Amino acid sequence: MPLLTGVSVDQILFALLNGTIYGLLLFMVSAGLTLIFGMMGVLNFAHASFYMLGAYFAYTLQPLTGFWLAIILAPVLVMGVGILVERFILRHVHEHGHAHELLVTFGLSVVIAEMIKMVYGKFAVDYRVPAELNFAAFSLSGIDYPFYRLLMGGIAVVMFIAIWLLLTKTRVGIVVRSAIYRPQMAEALGHNVPMVFMGVFGIGAALAGLAGAVAGAFYTTNPNMALELGVMVFVVVVVGGLGSMGGAMAASLLIGITNSLAVGSDLRIADLMSLVGMGGWAEDLGGLLTMRMSSLAATLPFFIMLLVLVLRPSGLMGEKE
Amino acid sequence: MKFAPLLLLATVALLIALPWLVSGSMLNAAVQMLIAALFAMAFGLLCGQAGMLSFGHAAYFGVGAFAAVHAMNAFGGAGLLPTPLLPLVGGATGLISGLVAGYFSTKRTGVYFAMITLALAELLHALASHLKAVFGGEAGVSSFRMPAWGIGFGSLTDVYFLTLVWTLLCIGLLYLFSKTPLGRITLGLRENAHRLRFLGYNTHALGTLIFAISAMFAGIAGALQSMNIEAANYVVLESHISTAVVLNSFIGGVRVFLGPAIGGAVMTFFGYVTSDLTRVWLLYQGIIFVLVMMFLPRGLVGELVERLRHRSGQGVARSLGATLLRLLCLAVAAAGAVFLIEFLQRFLSSEYRAGVSEGNWPAISLFSYDWAPLSVLPWAVGLGLFGLGIALVVTVNRRVADRQEAQA
Repeated sequence: MPLLTGVSVDQILFALLNGTIYGLLLFMVSAGLTLIFGMMGVLNFAHASFYMLGAYFAYTLQPLTGFWLAIILAPVLVMGVGILVERFILRHVHEHGHAHELLVTFGLSVVIAEMIKMVYGKFAVDYRVPAELNFAAFSLSGIDYPFYRLLMGGIAVVMFIAIWLLLTKTRVGIVVRSAIYRPQMAEALGHNVPMVFMGVFGIGAALAGLAGAVAGAFYTTNPNMALELGVMVFVVVVVGGLGSMGGAMAASLLIGITNSLAVGSDLRIADLMSLVGMGGWAEDLGGLLTMRMSSLAATLPFFIMLLVLVLRPSGLMGEKE
Repeated sequence: MKFAPLLLLATVALLIALPWLVSGSMLNAAVQMLIAALFAMAFGLLCGQAGMLSFGHAAYFGVGAFAAVHAMNAFGGAGLLPTPLLPLVGGATGLISGLVAGYFSTKRTGVYFAMITLALAELLHALASHLKAVFGGEAGVSSFRMPAWGIGFGSLTDVYFLTLVWTLLCIGLLYLFSKTPLGRITLGLRENAHRLRFLGYNTHALGTLIFAISAMFAGIAGALQSMNIEAANYVVLESHISTAVVLNSFIGGVRVFLGPAIGGAVMTFFGYVTSDLTRVWLLYQGIIFVLVMMFLPRGLVGELVERLRHRSGQGVARSLGATLLRLLCLAVAAAGAVFLIEFLQRFLSSEYRAGVSEGNWPAISLFSYDWAPLSVLPWAVGLGLFGLGIALVVTVNRRVADRQEAQA
């Protein structure tokens, strides 16, 4: 395999692990988005803004309460914001249709981003992993693997199991699922459906907030993080199919892993084309074809999305519209 | 609406006379307003008439802008493409990129469409920083407007007229388009795509075509923009350009023909005027957008047209009186909100925080007064005005409702 020279098995292993954890993080945000969409038919454009709010709230609380309490309190605060948004803004525009709700949440995402810029400034804030958690979990061929990454993955996995158990094994879960499936019938049976909607919106926001609080410390916490992650989450949702948890999971992992494999790869499209004897032509053409995979990594998810749109427009596990 | 043609004529006459009426910096703002109006109209075709919500229209605007700059450099304003015809290049590249992007994004409808347009715009933005040959990297690509057809194109007035002619021409074409059979089917696509497919139309091809036409006009707007500033930088591909056009168009109202143009022009004007007064114009823009979406879902122009069309049975004078009273109360609330936001902005700014030493909080100068941040006064003024305004609006609304009930 001439293409893989210079890449050791350990590096690939690291990339796979990083990708899985990034994918889990993406899922943490897209799960809430999918849950809300499946239930209320609302695409919450401000969902990634809740992720950002989580990070900033945790950053603010951390000096006062310590790290652990901060990442517990931040999602609770974000949940409060989410409930207020649902109760006083979304419910107000509900009668104008789903497109209108999407637009209002879009406006909210602008307002939240601008407020964050006003309060915390335009540049990244110094929110980092606390020193006591900043150690290597294990090392392979001399490269340390940070424990905090494993912690992020662990929190995500625990969260999914909790949500899954809540939705499938409890009475609350049954009410929620029935409110998704037949809202009018559930209401006729005496369940407070608007309350359930508010609760789901709040929980979805809290999930995004938790993801932000945990990931903000590891990645950067800046006013752009909502857009950067938001776009990725939308790609995940288009690839996986909205309303399908399994699809969201598969797409999150797919995109997380391709992304991190690409970052570590020096491969160029021209090299691939030389396998079929077109290498010289590609070298002459330059541009995209001679760019290293690592610098194209940020754009790979988009190409995956285009591919899925051509081959399977309704998404990996989505239903036909 | 008997006065509509007259009003239109008067507006065009005013626009033509503008260079002799206003100062240079205002004329510059007028050029920006025209470009924003045309861009918003292109967006309005897609979003208002065809019902497809695009969050990534900056891509086509930007593509048009870069194409015009490259054409300016290649032709030097002579030969096949003299300076006044350069927006054609922007339109053509907009059309082609719109066909490609439209093919993919109209594979899905509704919210998926919106997400795909956003992702495509981000894809182009991510690629642009790597493709230095085309997009010029950090510095961007710059050029010079060359004289052509006996016009110098050196002065702002010349640029203004170039922009005006192209904007009016394009808006006219968009109006004519809305009258063609294709334009009518566009409305069908918005209202009921299922039924259209049932009637035998290829809705995917139709959507792609309309997307491309919208992208073409966005490209022309982009070309005008880069001709105005004689440069293009990949900042024009950034998401805030897409955001601005969505906000502006919906504030104006996308369902009425000139709504987006008026929204774009008015918001650009306010952005220009307030640029030295506030640093958080985008926050105001976002808040105005959310409020308009919540309380005036048809947009400002749309609501106005609706009111004029369906005048309520009670006298015009009385309903006008109630509206004016409401506006007055809202102005009080808005004054309070603006005061609070501006005060907070100054209070939280890094310059202010740098000036704070142990226990010493310098006064903040705002609206020609100095306010001590730790006293109750500034907070009371802001919150008080805001609360008073809201309370007054609620009272007026209640009175009007009571009166209507009494009449009924």
